[in-house]
Amino acid sequence: MRGILIAFEGIDGSGKSSQASLLKDWIGLRRDVYLTEWNSSEWIHDIIKEAKKKNMLTPITFSLIHATDFSDRYEKYILPMFKSGFVVICDRYIYTAYVRDSVRGVSLDWVKKLYSFAIKPDFTFYIRIGAETALNRLKKARKTIKPQEAGSDIFPNLDPEEGFLKYQSLITEAYDKISKENNFIELDGNKNPREIQMEIRSKIGELIDNSF
Amino acid sequence: MIIAFEGIEGSGRTTHLNIAKKYLEEEGYGVITFGLQMSKLMGERIRQVKKNIVFERRTLFLAYVTDLADQMENVVKPSIESGFIALADGYILTLLSWGLIRGLELNWMKDVLSIFPEPKITFSLISSPEEVIKRIIKRDGYLDPLKVGIDICIREDVFNAFQEYAEKFQKYLVDLSKDKAIVVNTTNSIEEVKKEIVMHIENI
Repeated sequence: MRGILIAFEGIDGSGKSSQASLLKDWIGLRRDVYLTEWNSSEWIHDIIKEAKKKNMLTPITFSLIHATDFSDRYEKYILPMFKSGFVVICDRYIYTAYVRDSVRGVSLDWVKKLYSFAIKPDFTFYIRIGAETALNRLKKARKTIKPQEAGSDIFPNLDPEEGFLKYQSLITEAYDKISKENNFIELDGNKNPREIQMEIRSKIGELIDNSF
Repeated sequence: MIIAFEGIEGSGRTTHLNIAKKYLEEEGYGVITFGLQMSKLMGERIRQVKKNIVFERRTLFLAYVTDLADQMENVVKPSIESGFIALADGYILTLLSWGLIRGLELNWMKDVLSIFPEPKITFSLISSPEEVIKRIIKRDGYLDPLKVGIDICIREDVFNAFQEYAEKFQKYLVDLSKDKAIVVNTTNSIEEVKKEIVMHIENI
């Protein structure tokens, strides 16, 4: 049985993590499944956190350290699991790096080469939602906007909410630019979560069902 | 400008870098040094986790690159701009040799490394594997498997493992050095090697 790679992309507050996790539970009833999040390598995660806090990163080192984090999860989990037939769900994949790095002024061409070792997903779900809607959702769920959600490294002088709107709008523009060439399946993030989940399941259902 | 000293562990990189540094300082130049696993961001951490990720070659390569980039952005570039000479203790050719021997794609590595400025001069230091091993043993007391490429040569004997590793590594380094670097054999005495290096940097 061949592995299946599913990626979720979208701005912070788009609801993609909930969708990824709902999908994982559903697939888990049928197949071996693994969910991995961006920026979660066991040994690099805390270096990144510390470096961001101390404002140590430049656009290039921001890019490279996230690539190292990705590569660690890729070599350790994603690739071996994919090869052995798992359904691997990635809450953010290489496209997150494409948009975040290019928004910080790093050449997109170089970033693409940097990540050229990664296999392309079978499905990339791009949950598209306005920055304002995303902000309101996050505000409802918790009190504060995290500095990295507000792009505090590139907009140090904006207050968190303003920063969020500006940064996430830039990210959306960058996603829109690469959407077509990377076969993103665009989903309207304004629909209710159940509707979105059903759309996702119907897109991949056939592949999952026929793979027994 | 950057002057790079490339070579395997034990090739005399650090020794000859320090000698060149002293020479250049006596000549009145401001000199800084940087190199592999020396960044504030990652250097120490790579040492700590290396044994866990020694078979994750791409990750380790990217960690080395991140480590180098941190020094480049925060220390090397500003220093060069204000007129310093930056001496690299391991730079592009060392990383490429390291990756080639582990099967990473040359073009991919070159693309990733294209963010780094070309050195003004590159010295590729080579020596016989036996000599290199002797130096490491003298310095560390023993051959640390993690430093000697145990991940590519699973052998019962660290000596044979490293001999093969050093031969292959240095073959790649010499190949990469064509038109790019001055190959210096450090099996010769320190004084002779110094003369050879100074000959190339006295009129920079």
